[in-house]
Amino acid sequence: MQRILEPGQIETFAQRDIPRLRLPDRARVFSARAERLRRQSEAGAIGHAIRDYLHLMAHLADAQQAALESIESRPLELPGDEDIAHAQAFHMPLVSVASWQRQAQWQQALASICSSLTALPNLPAQVLLVTDHVCALTAQQLEAQADNLLAVQPLQVDTATAPFIMAALQVYWVALASRTNIDAIHELDVPGVCPTCGTLPVASIVRADSRHQGLRYLHCALCATEWHMVRVKCSHCQTTQGISYQSIEDGPRSIRAECCDTCRTYRKILYQEDDVAVEPVADDLASLSLDLLLSEAGYRRASPNPLLWQQP
Amino acid sequence: MSDMTRRQFLAITGSTLAGSSLALLGFSPGQALAEVRQFKLSRATETRNTCPYCSVSCGLLMYSLGDKAKNATQSIFHIEGDPDHPVNRGTLCPKGAGLIDFVHSPNRLKYPEYRAPGSDRWQRISWDEAMERVARLMKQDRDANFIAKNADGQTVNRWLTTGMLAASASSNEAGYITHKVIRSLGVLAFDNQARV
Repeated sequence: MQRILEPGQIETFAQRDIPRLRLPDRARVFSARAERLRRQSEAGAIGHAIRDYLHLMAHLADAQQAALESIESRPLELPGDEDIAHAQAFHMPLVSVASWQRQAQWQQALASICSSLTALPNLPAQVLLVTDHVCALTAQQLEAQADNLLAVQPLQVDTATAPFIMAALQVYWVALASRTNIDAIHELDVPGVCPTCGTLPVASIVRADSRHQGLRYLHCALCATEWHMVRVKCSHCQTTQGISYQSIEDGPRSIRAECCDTCRTYRKILYQEDDVAVEPVADDLASLSLDLLLSEAGYRRASPNPLLWQQP
Repeated sequence: MSDMTRRQFLAITGSTLAGSSLALLGFSPGQALAEVRQFKLSRATETRNTCPYCSVSCGLLMYSLGDKAKNATQSIFHIEGDPDHPVNRGTLCPKGAGLIDFVHSPNRLKYPEYRAPGSDRWQRISWDEAMERVARLMKQDRDANFIAKNADGQTVNRWLTTGMLAASASSNEAGYITHKVIRSLGVLAFDNQARV
């Protein structure tokens, strides 16, 4: 979109700094995702071919929102001054998935998600089987699965239960991220991972609101923190050469894939200017057709979608 | 984990989807796989550049369709200010905002043209003719008007009767070369303001 400056605006804009980070909005993060998943499963939308899966994931996101609201039953342990100073000194993520001692709250979130889902009428039998299986796992087994998911160890991941366990981990980390003071999160020396939790981003989003207009943010697959990265740059290998934007011909303009011919990977990039309701996790999942086309063209994803895991 | 494993894990195909969360929860990727056969990828690029008009040098993002690699013609379909650029932060002046029409203008100069003194029309000439004529006229003028020493006998080596207009969108390196070429001839008057 073009903007033409009025007299006096130049001075105002010259002082504008690029906002480095956007922390998740606790009140809406999962409900907005659920809404978007439903929208993308409608007839004519990009995810219509996998609508049943998107519907299930929309229920899952609703359950996540409810779990997030109730997670405060026990006090959440937040990073203290020492953790903040430590993270800053070593350029480490503040609540890193690799080192942060996660509390039992995440398992309570999982139980709450599973009970919300099993309470649904018409839940497919196979889904019920899997949620029952998740509920039957011991705390140790759950912790081990969580470790495998967070470290992205595909050989050890149980793909059927993965979306549910990942969903509970998302609730816990969103609870942490949304309560953290933005000034406590510092820039890392690796631009491609989340400065809050150290997870890889699921997709990029080019925002359209006046404060962030035209700026690209990477959206964390776990804690939904968004951090700024300049446009036209591979979010995987950081090159600025050989970047192309591929999309489905005559498909939605709001969903494209930023493909890198240097490392042959891609991450999807969503344009709010073309559709204000885009949501990184939902749109990345819904545009599975684009993944199939890109994989035929010889590209692979830079990182998995948290709600869709597959066996190598 | 071997790189091969990761490659398969992160490429989404019909066979990998068979073992995915989607399939194991009882859903079928069949319709998505069938639908994709009717779809085609369309490829676009976003390219950074600098506005050619003035010395403010606003950053631009130019959107084009087409694929150089596949020998298709590339065509620019949109130009906007580069939001990451520290000078203009995504904004453009009205003249810069009209750049797309400048790019596609039918009146754009694409080859050298010459209008003879007293003539009312432009005629197309070859690059060789143009270069030779420019060089010859420059030499004539320089031979006639070059000032080696001023009135006090100090060496000045200047040529004041010719000037040069270069481009405002030049890189540092292009600016260096422009400077070296023009100053070594003794020319003092040159500017990089394409808007004047």
